[in-house]
Amino acid sequence: MHRDELRITAELALVELDASRLAAFEQSVGELLAHFAVMSTCDVTNLPATTHALAEENRLRADEARPDPELADGILEQAPDLEDRFISIPNVL
Amino acid sequence: MSAAESWKRLILDAPEQYARVVRERDERLGAFLEFDPARRTVAPATGGSLAGLPLAVKDNIAVRGFRLTCGSRILGDHVAPYDATVVARLVDAGMIPVGKTNLDEFGMGSSTDNSALATTSNPWDLSRVAGGSSGGSAVAVAGGMVPVALGSDTGGSVRQPAAFCGVYGLKPTYGRLSRYGLVAYASSLETIGIIAADTGLIAEVLRAAEGVDLHDQTSVGLPAARVAEEERPLRRVAFLSCDADLDEPTRAGYSRMREAVRAAKVEATEIDLATAEVAVSAYYTIAAAEASANLARFNGIRYGERPIYAENPEELVRTARSEGFGEEVLLRILLGTYVLRSGFQEQYYQRAQKIRTAIRNELQSIFDGHDLLVLPVFPVAAFPHGEGGLSPFQQKLADRFTTLANLAAVPALSIPAGVHGGLPVGIQVMGPAFSEGRLLRFADQVRSGIPVEAPPDFSPDAAALALAVPGRDEGGA
Repeated sequence: MHRDELRITAELALVELDASRLAAFEQSVGELLAHFAVMSTCDVTNLPATTHALAEENRLRADEARPDPELADGILEQAPDLEDRFISIPNVL
Repeated sequence: MSAAESWKRLILDAPEQYARVVRERDERLGAFLEFDPARRTVAPATGGSLAGLPLAVKDNIAVRGFRLTCGSRILGDHVAPYDATVVARLVDAGMIPVGKTNLDEFGMGSSTDNSALATTSNPWDLSRVAGGSSGGSAVAVAGGMVPVALGSDTGGSVRQPAAFCGVYGLKPTYGRLSRYGLVAYASSLETIGIIAADTGLIAEVLRAAEGVDLHDQTSVGLPAARVAEEERPLRRVAFLSCDADLDEPTRAGYSRMREAVRAAKVEATEIDLATAEVAVSAYYTIAAAEASANLARFNGIRYGERPIYAENPEELVRTARSEGFGEEVLLRILLGTYVLRSGFQEQYYQRAQKIRTAIRNELQSIFDGHDLLVLPVFPVAAFPHGEGGLSPFQQKLADRFTTLANLAAVPALSIPAGVHGGLPVGIQVMGPAFSEGRLLRFADQVRSGIPVEAPPDFSPDAAALALAVPGRDEGGA
């Protein structure tokens, strides 16, 4: 794997890598990609892709609220800062 | 007094004694990240067989009131505000969650050494790893600290540590146990699994926890037609020919399993599996792709640790992720992002999904002619911590026997196959979807040939020790 490709990939993955980590991942990601080449030996002609091994159809449910006040309270209890029942978020701009 | 009764008496009547025994043992083993039996103990309302039994839970499964760290720094002191569906159902059945167990960060690894928070060691040899990623759960059971523990299995993470520690580990059919409350890593592959030293207990826990859940659209119920089919006797099993790939103890365990099958008068044939060669590549392509999407939520804003200072939101996210994730997690995120990039998708991700179909088809053709497939769990027994062990790359290649069941969504059970050279070996048995009952029945049939042994330094279990009653393998065996 080329160093520049890894840099672009890290950028897309929202990960910051210094020079030594770049070198380490260049080696370890490259090693796996090289191993993945074995997949090209497998004949997949006319095979459909499996995205879900058991589902035969899409499963939908009614778009209805299922209130769970206990869970809502549990989440609010953990917020570092509250204003009434709103979570205050830090200013990051 | 039965083993179950002594566990119940211990936790309800002598909780301090129980906590003391576990803490003493766990100082050496490191199974638990958090242990507090008092936190959720209530006198059970039901009188069912699971009522009053302590339960350990892998720390990527939510238990209300306990931390949910996934073995990662990025989640910090995050406390779960709710119970995973599986945990809630077991609590309804009277089980008592006593603590959270160590794991490879986000379930990524085969040793539990990828935890950012603690080191877990094998009760058979403290210089060796417990296996992973559900290493803490396997050690909690094998070390006699709980009768049963929950883990999660994405590519072998319940079966492999169970094998390394000499206990049973069940990875059920995909969807049979709800994933609600399991922190997602590779959603199309993973299931919650059950670890115990007793097959009857695994069956009971599965029965109490299984079924359709409104919170998980992939959850499924056991089809009624399968119940009767699972009752019929086992006639014919297939063994995967792979002895040359195995280390000495594992080969000995595999031979012992063949003998036990012969003694149980079940017909056995040897088979090859052409797709086994590509399973690891297909698995890591799909798992990494799904991980890169699932772990995008860990950005230092919604959960956990956040850098003290950042110039702008994007820098905050980048810093939180780069500092919060360990190397193995970053590796998989990078790999997954790469295989999903436009221009590379067809070569990697789409091809892997077609190979997944080929693996399903080949396993199905085996199950058309055989009741079950028997194969090793891992090519080697528990390896040493650190440099003397397997490299991260070697560990991934060694997942070739376990990943098949995850790719095909079928159940598999790791069965203790004796102790060889001082180390336990596990052999797995795999069946078609919803054949868990068949797998457990197979385990019972071979047990007379291969009894389950407990690690000498941690036997008998805590209940038997504290109450001075015979342990699970004492007295009769």
